[in-house]
Amino acid sequence: MTMLEEPIKEPLHLRNYIDGEWVESEGERKGVVNPATGKAIATVPISTEGEINEAVEAAQEAYPDWRRTPPLARVRCLFRMKQLLEEHFEEVSRIQTMEHGKTIDESRGETRRGIEMVEVATGIPSLMMGYNLEDIATGMDEYLIRQPLGVFGIIGPFNFPFMVPLWFAPFAVATGNCIVLKPSSEDPISQVKIAELAEEAGIPPGVWNIVHGGRTVVSGMLDNPDIKGMCFVGSTPVGRDVIYKRCGETGKRVIAMCGAKNFALVMPDADLERTIAACMTSFYGNTGQRCLANANLVIVGEGLSEQEYDAFYEQVVDAFVSAAKKIRMGYGLDDTVHMGPIRDEKKKQNVLNYIEKGIAAGATLTLDGRQFELVNDLPDTCFIGPTVFEDVTLDMAIAREEIFGPVANMMRARNLAEAIDMIHDVPFGNAASIFTQNGKWAREFQYNVECGNIGINTGIAAPMAFFPFSGMKDSFFGTLHGQGREAIRFFTESKVVIQRWF
Amino acid sequence: MANGSLTAAAIVSFTEELENRSSTFYGELAERWPENRETFSAFAEAGEKHKTWVVRTYQETISDALEASYAFEGMNLADYVVETALAEDVGYADALKMALALEEKACEFYLEVARRSESLLATIPMAFKRVAKKRNKRQVKLQSLLDARP
Repeated sequence: MTMLEEPIKEPLHLRNYIDGEWVESEGERKGVVNPATGKAIATVPISTEGEINEAVEAAQEAYPDWRRTPPLARVRCLFRMKQLLEEHFEEVSRIQTMEHGKTIDESRGETRRGIEMVEVATGIPSLMMGYNLEDIATGMDEYLIRQPLGVFGIIGPFNFPFMVPLWFAPFAVATGNCIVLKPSSEDPISQVKIAELAEEAGIPPGVWNIVHGGRTVVSGMLDNPDIKGMCFVGSTPVGRDVIYKRCGETGKRVIAMCGAKNFALVMPDADLERTIAACMTSFYGNTGQRCLANANLVIVGEGLSEQEYDAFYEQVVDAFVSAAKKIRMGYGLDDTVHMGPIRDEKKKQNVLNYIEKGIAAGATLTLDGRQFELVNDLPDTCFIGPTVFEDVTLDMAIAREEIFGPVANMMRARNLAEAIDMIHDVPFGNAASIFTQNGKWAREFQYNVECGNIGINTGIAAPMAFFPFSGMKDSFFGTLHGQGREAIRFFTESKVVIQRWF
Repeated sequence: MANGSLTAAAIVSFTEELENRSSTFYGELAERWPENRETFSAFAEAGEKHKTWVVRTYQETISDALEASYAFEGMNLADYVVETALAEDVGYADALKMALALEEKACEFYLEVARRSESLLATIPMAFKRVAKKRNKRQVKLQSLLDARP
């Protein structure tokens, strides 16, 4: 066992980053606590309306020069930033483990995904190109150019504090826009580190701004007419009823990526060993605090007799529970740990409430995550173990609502069509997976399931940086998605020029 | 306590330790038996290269979608630890035998982690295989030194 060294030795005093300066906020300060150890690791300001407006003003002022900076020069800043992120790879990964609680493998994975966004955005000179056609009429040509819009607001979630803002920020900046980014006040440290590296990489003052805080900052962004678009990742009620609605009222572009309740189907021909490994990552990775996490495991009896189906169900559930029991819980900087804590005590209580709801609704608690052991000497304040429910039906809250914790529901479906209907019965449409060796079943699943991200023999259907991170139904509000070419379109306006010369 | 699978992070940490121990060991051999300094020094220096291959591939590949914590079920790292501390009075032949034992175990380790992580950890198994191949070649060289001793 290796206990990795903590990169944060003393609590940090975080500041806003506005117009290239690290500035003190007049707002109250909130503590940031390492959920595994319970130790304070930073204080973060809850910034004022004046401070968010100041940041937007700085971004607006920086915009004309940044827009005129040639794309090649803009991406040189991103190349330097990518290099700096590589140099600080281990440091930023360990920061994520300290601020969020995830394991070091998960943090390193998050860092890599974040860097990949910067890498893809360095392709802007090609990706941002328009197109043209000569002779649309005699002597007339037409072409399309993509232009930046101005200032964008980005609101990051707590569950992927490093990566998620990078789904948007590098693409926005590379296309010539400026950003004002509000990290989650629960785990804002890695975004501060990124801004430090952006500064070192030569991104000019005002182009990349960080304003810490809460609702005041979000409202300030939504109400500010100089903000042309918003990117949000968080819960469905906030995304739908606040961000999406307000952006509609104020005429802003919007990407609102929201909640999920994802299903994984296990077909009778699935490679069970690999399926279970994938399920452990999917259901319990990031301690279940992931919008791509699967939460409902549907064991499908397609083509099986009643007796065969019962045996298959038992086989899958036994393998799942047996693997879940072996999950090592502790401090994510211990490199043997599989699962860290929930981000904070309140969120843990929410998960505990759902466990109570499941029991009250009549589900069978096969593996009780309230009983657990830690491999390190730690307070158990934020920890909760892998939990498995059986006899779960679709009318239960645990089957329909996003728990955002390590709770897995075992469900039954006699055939694939019934299983797909179950997926459609919940309001979310973020992701769904199928485990099978049968191409026909896989295609039917891919074709019919109304979810934005489909996994075939993979438990985490996470799109790479050069594909959009999709989402449907109550999991996504907007038109274009983050990442890839859709992000380029989101952050640019298409202008068409038709010309002829007399 | 649960005794589940080793994590990818733990495997990478062990790789770093293994290569560090090997480098120290061969560095000492180079000092004690200068007639083969070139060979032993080369082995000692290669440790850094091996670490770089594995750590870089891991850091460039690892993602939240990989089954990084569930590929190494049942592996016990203690099975791959061999004695590398050279006694003051150890003879040349015995030192070479220790080196052969070290290489054999290292090779077993790299091939086993490559086998177990195949299809679960993308390109990371390739890096393990590459190091296994290099360390396998060392065994041939060490055996020739052992056979050639007077």
